[in-house]
Parts: sequence; C-alpha cells; structure tokens
Amino acid sequence: MPKITIDGQTIEVAEGTTILKAAGQAGIEIPHLCYHPAFPPEGSCRLCLVEIEGSPKLELSCSTVVREGMVIKTQSEKVIEARRSVLEFLLAEHPMDCPICDKAGDCKLQDYYEAYGLFESKFKEIKEKKDKLVHIGRNLLLDRERCIQCTRCVRFLLEVTKTGELGVFERGIHSIIGFYENEPVNNNYSGNLAEICPVGAITDLDFRFKTRTWFLTSRPSICPLCSRGCAINIEFHKGLARIELGKRVFRIRSRENQSVNKYWICDYGRYSYSYLDEGRIAQPFQVINERRTNLSWERMLFILSEKIKSLRIRKRTSRIVIVLNSALTNEELFLVKRLFIEELGINRIFFSDPPDEKGDGFLLTAERVPNRRGALNLGFNLNVGEEVLKQDKIDLLLIFAAHLAEIMPLGWLSTLANQIESKFLFTSRESGLSRHVDFVGPVTPVAEKAGSFTNVDGLNQSFDPALNPWGQSWPEWKIMINLAKEIPINLRYFGRLNSPETIRKVMAEEKLNFSVNP
Amino acid sequence: MNEKVLTRYFDIPHLYNIDVYLEKGGYEAVRKALKLKPEEIIEEVKKANLRGRGGAGFPAGLKWSFVPKVDKPKYLCVNADEGEPGTFKDRFIMSHNPHLLIEGIIITCYAVDIHLAFIYIRGEYEKIARRLESAIEEAKRKGFLGSDILGSGFNLEVVVHRGAGAYICGEETALLESLEGKRGHPRLKPPFPASVGLFQMPTVINNVETIANVPLIILNGADWFLNLGKPKDGGTRLFSVSGMVERPGVFELPVGTPLRKIIYEYAGGIKNGRKLKGVIPGGMSAPILLPEEIDVPMDCESVFNKGSMLGSAAIIVIDESVPIIEVLRKVTKFYSHESCGQCTPCRIGTSWINKIVERIASGKGGKGDIEEIERLALQIKGRTLCPLGDAAAMPILAIVNKYRHELEAMLPQ
Repeated sequence: MPKITIDGQTIEVAEGTTILKAAGQAGIEIPHLCYHPAFPPEGSCRLCLVEIEGSPKLELSCSTVVREGMVIKTQSEKVIEARRSVLEFLLAEHPMDCPICDKAGDCKLQDYYEAYGLFESKFKEIKEKKDKLVHIGRNLLLDRERCIQCTRCVRFLLEVTKTGELGVFERGIHSIIGFYENEPVNNNYSGNLAEICPVGAITDLDFRFKTRTWFLTSRPSICPLCSRGCAINIEFHKGLARIELGKRVFRIRSRENQSVNKYWICDYGRYSYSYLDEGRIAQPFQVINERRTNLSWERMLFILSEKIKSLRIRKRTSRIVIVLNSALTNEELFLVKRLFIEELGINRIFFSDPPDEKGDGFLLTAERVPNRRGALNLGFNLNVGEEVLKQDKIDLLLIFAAHLAEIMPLGWLSTLANQIESKFLFTSRESGLSRHVDFVGPVTPVAEKAGSFTNVDGLNQSFDPALNPWGQSWPEWKIMINLAKEIPINLRYFGRLNSPETIRKVMAEEKLNFSVNP
Repeated sequence: MNEKVLTRYFDIPHLYNIDVYLEKGGYEAVRKALKLKPEEIIEEVKKANLRGRGGAGFPAGLKWSFVPKVDKPKYLCVNADEGEPGTFKDRFIMSHNPHLLIEGIIITCYAVDIHLAFIYIRGEYEKIARRLESAIEEAKRKGFLGSDILGSGFNLEVVVHRGAGAYICGEETALLESLEGKRGHPRLKPPFPASVGLFQMPTVINNVETIANVPLIILNGADWFLNLGKPKDGGTRLFSVSGMVERPGVFELPVGTPLRKIIYEYAGGIKNGRKLKGVIPGGMSAPILLPEEIDVPMDCESVFNKGSMLGSAAIIVIDESVPIIEVLRKVTKFYSHESCGQCTPCRIGTSWINKIVERIASGKGGKGDIEEIERLALQIKGRTLCPLGDAAAMPILAIVNKYRHELEAMLPQ
C-alpha cells in the first residue's frame, strides 16, 4: 500500500491506484472530461494534469499510477494555469450557446469554467462551423460544434455495448463524431450516450427543450421494469408558482451501482416513465352501474372488512380469491402471507404478471417485473393468472394486478363480474379492468413507495419513495395493514407494523433472510 | 570526399535486384549474424551507439534490450512513414537498396526473437512498396526469409503495409494503431511498445535508416562504426538537404559533420549566391537556426545544445528571398492540418495559431498577435498526449523569437 501526499495530505492507497482516484479518496476532485471510471484512461482532454514533485512536466492524473512517496500537487499555480489553458482552448471553439443548451446547469465544461476559468476570451478568429443537428440514432441528437472530442460516446459503444456505431471522422480541428454508412446508433443503451456526454453535444430528444435542469429534483429509486433492479435517479419538476405542469417526471437517469448496473440503464427503463404521470387514479371510488362515486380509503376498507368478516363468520373465506403480481415488494408479499393466507386461511392466491419478453443479454431481463425472485423466496407458487379462469364459487375477488386486463380476455371478466358478489381492484392507473369491478383503490407505483426487491441474481435491494404519492394513492402494504386493523385481526402482531422498515424488522425476527443492500 | 558506407553501392544499377546485391557481398551480415548469439548482436549494437534515425535519436540497442523475454509473439515494425517535412532519405534507401533494409530486419528480428516484421510505409511510396515486396519475394526464394533461414532454424516473415497519408501515423504508437486497422491516434505511454505494442504484444519500432545500419555494424564491428561518427553517436547519417541550395539531395556523411560544411560544401551553397536567412536542421519540427548558429556539428547532442534537434537530419535551407511569415505559415498550416485531433491543446491550439498567422499574412494582423502566438504555443508545449504537440510548438516559438522584428513589422504600428 503506497503512501502518498496530495496537497499536503498524506494518505495510503491500494497498489495500482491512479492519482485521480487516490485524490478522490482524499476528497480532492481533479477536473476531467474524457476520463470516465467505466473505461480505461484516454488522456486526451488534458484537463487532469497535476504536478508531481521531481517530474519536469505536468503528468496525467487519470492514467498515472501512484508510487510510494509520491508528492502530488493538484492546486499549484502551474496546475491551475494548465487547467485554465485547456479550458481556454476548449471554449475558444465552443459555440457558447448555453442559454439554449439542454446541458446547461449540468455541464462539466460550464462547471469547470466557473471554477477555474472566468477569463475574457482572447479568441479573435472565426470559429469552425459544423453541423448542429445530426440525428445519430434513436433519441440522440449530436451538435458537432459543442463536441469537445472526449470520445466517451465512441468508447461506450466499443466497450460496453460492443456495437461500435460511432467513430471519430476527419482530423484535427475538423474532427467530428459520426456513424458509419447508414447505420446510426441502434441499441437498447443509446440513452446512456446523452448521459455520459460531459457537454451538450449529445442531447436526448426525449428531454430536449422540455425544461431546464435546475428546475429538476433528483431522487434515487430502483427501476421496476424488469427483474434486474437497476439503480436509477428519477428527475422531476416540483412545479412552478402559477403554471400547472402536465407532468412531474422529466427523465430517468442511471445511478451508479457496481453490483448491478455499474453506470448504465437500458432505454426501456429510461424512457418508459410516462406511467408515473399519465392515466393515474387519484382517489378510491365505487362503481355502481358504470357510474363512479368517490369514497375515502377508510370507507372502502370498512366495506371490505365487513365483507371479509361476514365470510369469516360463515367460514366461507375459501370463497375469496386474490390475484397478485411480482411487482409487489417483499414486505407486501410477506403481509399477504401472514394476513391472507395464515390469518384468514385464504388459499386461492394467484399471480398475474405481464408476459415475459426477450431479454437483451445485458441488463434487461426477460421478466418484466421486479420481484419474481422475492415471491419465489417467500414460497409463493407463481401459478399464472389464467388459473383464475378456472375458478368458480367466488364471493370476493381482490385484484392487486392491473396487468390482469392485458392478459385476460375481457369477456371473462364481464361474465364473471355478474357471478362474483364483490370485486376490489388496487391499481395505480386507469385500465379496462376498472369497468368490471365494484371498488377501485389507487396504489403507488414503485417510484412512490418504500420497500425491497430481490433481483434476478438474488440480490435484495431496498428503496425509498422518490416521488410523493399521486392524489390519495396508498402503497399496498398500507392497505393490508389497515385492513388487518380494521377487521381487526391479531392486533398484537399487525398493530406494531406501520412501515416497510417495521415489516422488515419482523421478517428478520422471523428469520426470513431478507437483509437488504441499500 | 568522405567514404560512403551505407550508400556505398547505391550508384550501381539494379542494386535492388538480389543477384546484383549478392555480388556486392549482400546478405553476408545475415550469414555472420545467424552464427552469433542474439545477446551478442544486441551488445554489439549497443556498443556501436546506433541512435535512432527517425527523429528522437533513441539508442537502438537499448530499445531492443527493453523487450521482455517472454513467451509471446513479438513484432518488429519498421517505420517507413517518412512524414517529417524535408525528409527524403528512407525512400532513397528503400528504392536503391531494399535488400539492405531486409538484411537489417533479419538481424534485428533474430536478435530480439521476432518472427513477424512489418514495414509501415507511407501510402505515397507506392512504387517503393512494390519494390520492397518483390525484394522480399526474392529474399524468400533465396532462403533469407521464410522458415529455417539458412539452416539456422530461425523463421521470419516480412509484410509491407501501406499507410494512408497521415503525418501522425509516423508517431510510433499511432503507427501501431494504424497497423491494427484502427484510426491512427497515438496511445498513452506507458506502457511503452517494447512491452505492450502491436496487438498488445512486445514490439520494436525502428526507422528504416536505423535498421539499414545494423548489417554494417555486424559486418564491421561496433568500433569501426563508432569511429565513423561521434563517441556517443556512431556511424554516418543521411542528410536530406532541400531548399535554396545549389545541389539539394541526400548526402551520407559522418555523424558530427558541421552544418555549415554540409550546406556550403556538399550542397554547393546558397542558390544564386543569395544570403542565408535560416536553416531548419532536423525536419520541420526542429527549431530554426540563424545563419550565425550554423557552426554546429550535426550530432544529436551538439544540435540539442544549440536549442534545436538533429531529428531526421533533414536540412531545410531558407534564404533572404523568403519572407519569414511564409515559413511560419507553412509550419502552422502543416501542424494544424496534421494534428490528429485527439488531445485538446494540439487540436485547438495549432488551429488557433494558424488562424492568427493566416490573418497576419493577409495583412490583418493586430497588436499583440505575436505575443498571442507565443502564449498559445507555450500552452501546447509539454502538455500534449504525444510528442507532436512539442513538434508543433518548438519551431513556432523559435521562428517567433528569432525573427520577431520581421514579424512585428507586418503589424500596424
């Protein structure tokens, strides 16, 4: 373990650590543009040069490995001067259209200019003219004037997706990023390019000109759209004083998680976020003769508990059918087990997940639900929803699966609808199902709740709400706990539960191995 | 007249023909070398102080000894890209005596345990590439290449690869990238090619003239070679003399021959009796020397001490009829055009300087422009990924420093 001194601070770092990483460990950020921790050092931006005692020239911190006794200066006059000079070069040919650039506020070049530049431009010549609107594939637009040739995009496509769609063309000041022949970027990870571009050269059509980055709040979550469980940040707009916005969420971005998705997320997970704002149900309601009447959660749970109680007294809880899905958290599935199966003796429990699709061989898996492993670990038999078709003698149907409408023939529901006395649907969005049930309760999607999932590799990950609940949406765990209290059932047990965390504690006490990696 | 060694038989017609070459004692060095131990050859070349003829002047024997003795394929890349403006000596060797180069390649490969060599030749040398290819065929037929060369058990293949015309591909690591079929962008060093080179394997990269000297050292010994030149810089060099001289051309002269003597004696002096204005002594990247600075022996150390470099030993002579702004413009235009664009200071710096120089040349110069050129060149120098940043900054700085009055006279007072 070499001992080194950075800016007067002596630290010990692992053998083979680069100066840039060692500095990071000491809490010193060395500016860099072309370097990205996912790729080997490129050394082309020249921004990360530092002074090493005994070395006549400034050295690259991104590629130089520390040696025992090295004395490094990252803030010396010489280093600052070199940084300013690189920034001066980059900005000389940069279009300075920050006011209309989506990256503004989020741009490394801007940040570094604020930190080290702040000079008057001495560039009196004519800037190079390049294409400002090149469709390089999928949702990607390239502005070649803004490009600083860091080649992160090229290297991403070579090293991560191994598709190599982009390359550097021409030479010197005329260098441009481009694609070969008529084959633009076409893979399920293209959205990462706009994210790793340190400037506004590659922008995302999905986000372009929609808002300014400084209006957005970013909160961590986990992508629920397949069983990988990639770490994401949900970026949303809190709204403006007098202007109502049509949506909250403006983009999903990847969040680093070395044990799952490293730095990347797939386009499917990135762009399929409209469900968070569109078609949402704000309040519980009852459907009578196709007319909706709003009611409170308390009222709805009272009605439901009365129905369960009367079936229980008549020893007819076997006439209850519950349809679940594997987007429920481990905590919620645990409650299903304790409340519905063990306390109420309901054994007709079915799962209805969206049908599997093809995985992409990298992050996106075939299972389009986040917690199938969790359900299996808890001992659920994942018999498919179609089994419900064969069921009869149902008095009460509880559906925790909005996907049901997508995979079941609607005719089934309407015929069954007349035979089943009460049908409750818990869903976050409007769907064809709403018309065929008696009660609808709005629930929170993953982005709005806390809990934990077990991903495809068996890794347990917990998450907190990134967004506030839509209207009066409740998470499923809250519905179940309140139902238990309303009936009431085993208050000594259910009474102490009031959050996924408390549920997790009980799960641990009961030796269910669900320790989570935050 | 000096004795020619490397170019000794170059006047003989059809020397490129293997039979003619063999008549003149061709491939004797290979026969001798294959009987030696590889280490003995490296020692001999080290002792001869054969410095690289491509530009950097790195001792060849030392370079070879850096190659790790590992059980991996190793490669030799002969740098025949000859892109340094003013340099035309390698083509002279390859077109007149391709077998001398092949002989050098065989000995080098035998010494470093290499079984595949590449000659990376600049695209414009199409005819020479073909000549090399047929020479390789001839050598193969005579058993000097291929498997079990002269019964020694040593195998070697040589491949000629033509570049596509980028100056940067003469930089050794960009050359490797290009040879691998990629865009010619220099690599970060370390690792150096001797350990991680072509296709990630240990690789020796030498200039054509360097390799062509190897057979002479083997035949005549290190001491003989050292005696030709300077103690730290052995042998002769091929000086490519161009510009305003009476007799431009390639001259083989001992290392250390004074620059004045080369210009006024061998190259016949300045054209039409005009006055000398400046000399670029080692290819365009070498800082220019003023007429009063040309009493310098042409060896690596002496020229370096004069603030310039011997480089590829390409001497460009400029006389009083040439406005210095035109020289500067040629330099900045070249480096701006040939910057590969990979790293920031070179990509934008060379272009920026060129834009200023073009503006001055078109009569639109302004106060402070000269200082600005200097400032920008200093921001490039020592800060780039490959040596080409320095190669651009140094000649620009020298011209601006040494001809400041003439340049300033072009600006509005």
